[in-house]
Amino acid sequence: MRSAKPRKPISYHLRKSLPFWLILPTLIVIIIVQVYPALYTIWLSMQARHATGWEYVGTQNFERLFGTGLFPESVGHTVIFLTGYALVTLTLGFVIAILLKQKVPFTGVYITLLFIPWIIADIIAGLIFRLMVTPDYGLFSGILQNPALFPPNGLSILTAARPAPWFGSFPFPPSPAMIYLILAASWRALPFITLLILAALQTVSHEVMESARIDGANLVQLTRYITIPLILPTMVVALFNLMLGGINGVGMVFSLTGGGPGTTTYVISYLLYVIGWGQLRFGRAAALALLIAAVNWLLILSVLRITRINDRSR
Amino acid sequence: MTKNFYLNRRIWKRRLVGLALLVITVISIFPIATTILVSFKQQADITRKPPVIFPCDTPEQKFDIKACRWSVEGYQRVFAPKPDEGSLFGFKFTGNLLRIYIPNTLMYAFSTAFFVTLLASFSGFAFSRYHFRGHNALMAAIYAVTGVPLLTNILALYQMSITLRKNVGFFDDRMFLVFVYLGFFLPISVWIAKGFFDTIPRELEESALLAGCSTLGALFRITMPLALPGLISVFLLTFVNVWNEFIVAYLLVTKNEYKPAMFGLYDFLSQNIINLQVLAAACIIIAAPIVILFLFARKIFFKAMVEGAVKG
Repeated sequence: MRSAKPRKPISYHLRKSLPFWLILPTLIVIIIVQVYPALYTIWLSMQARHATGWEYVGTQNFERLFGTGLFPESVGHTVIFLTGYALVTLTLGFVIAILLKQKVPFTGVYITLLFIPWIIADIIAGLIFRLMVTPDYGLFSGILQNPALFPPNGLSILTAARPAPWFGSFPFPPSPAMIYLILAASWRALPFITLLILAALQTVSHEVMESARIDGANLVQLTRYITIPLILPTMVVALFNLMLGGINGVGMVFSLTGGGPGTTTYVISYLLYVIGWGQLRFGRAAALALLIAAVNWLLILSVLRITRINDRSR
Repeated sequence: MTKNFYLNRRIWKRRLVGLALLVITVISIFPIATTILVSFKQQADITRKPPVIFPCDTPEQKFDIKACRWSVEGYQRVFAPKPDEGSLFGFKFTGNLLRIYIPNTLMYAFSTAFFVTLLASFSGFAFSRYHFRGHNALMAAIYAVTGVPLLTNILALYQMSITLRKNVGFFDDRMFLVFVYLGFFLPISVWIAKGFFDTIPRELEESALLAGCSTLGALFRITMPLALPGLISVFLLTFVNVWNEFIVAYLLVTKNEYKPAMFGLYDFLSQNIINLQVLAAACIIIAAPIVILFLFARKIFFKAMVEGAVKG
């Protein structure tokens, strides 16, 4: 007896389902390490730990989180950090990329050397910057702690308190440690941003520049009306990259300031660590994690939109 | 005359640009240079007030090249060599950094990079070559996952590790850590790998298939070798990312024997607040392999970086 439909050869089945088998391991890993924990965090954000186990508390975790003074303060620190970080990095990155584009001798050497900070771990970068200003013994402490230069008592970056805030409780002006943290973080992110901008600058067509120059545009006009509009999408992508890295990066806070002095360098990601592992309030930490994730998602969606617009215009 | 003036201006402009770049490079390398300097100082010179940049001053002179007191004390305290008859050079290193932390990091980085490259090449190939139902949605989903911050999931992963440690007999911190790293670095690697596969012309595979090669045969004999440079850059990028990663290992590893180098370095920080030379030496020792790797393979790094950056 023969069946009505002859079986297809195995290799044919394999060929049809091959992409499925190729992608399956990736999907399993991503579901276990990324999707399941994300869902678990949502569940956790509505639970509180009791002696007997977890208990459903609704939105209480969020309310308690917003109720603490540390949360708005950390958000303020994060806003200041991100603003300074993005401003310093994008400006310097743009300038350095323009310089590198001139193709002077040894540009290759400069690029290689300039990129070393990027390859250095955030925890090491933080330590390196910490070594330079360690109270009393750091290389710069001699200059910074000189009362003649920084009256009245000299400036010890890692221990100086924050000046009195100007706008209510918003922590501005930032503490010296925060400014130093911004500098250190920018130092490490600068190479990446420079490379992004340089890659975009290379695509600015030489003919356009040349014809504008013949028409009498000077350097400022060239930059303002041709270079910047052409590389603006890349700048925006770079900006979002910086924001994502800045919100989620925590290693440098750990090794450079440890959140201190006091709470003046508590950024939101460090606060998550403090609430979760310092105070062992995992429910509240999960609530904070969800907020951070929401900000991340907004940023990612904007990048997707912008890059898609970018692709279409190409 | 005008032409001459114009040429002169151009030359001067180039010189100015070169000078500016030189200054910027020196400034950006400066923190690293000071760390190297500090790592070669001795304790007495570290704890001096006010601090000196070069430990070369004598009572008579501010700087005397012959009086420099360089020492390898910091490195010695990190390596902690002890005489040992059986070893190759008559002594062995007993410092935790070289004995435990760096081998651990190497193991984590190698195994993660290997599995990430393997899985990313499989799915990158599938995404690049096949158009099935849900192709674009799946690609977008994987991209969206890259946006989930490490920090959000670490809470759940931490709870997961506690539960597993209690209930699963063969659970091992190291296995779990590598698996978590795999999950974190895979999504972006899939995108990068897909980008590399897209650049390989399809016709090559088609002709191999026509000549009687099987699909998998074409994948392993034709496409993979051609994609190798791209896959190497995925490997290196993952390797460096894992090497440099701190917070996940810090929160998930419980035993001293399983700590990676960054965790060890953080421990050093709390133990050596005043011994800056020890900290600096540890920094140099941990960062050096990666920096050297980067200097030799920077083209490969840039390739993966730009490919990954354009996507996200």
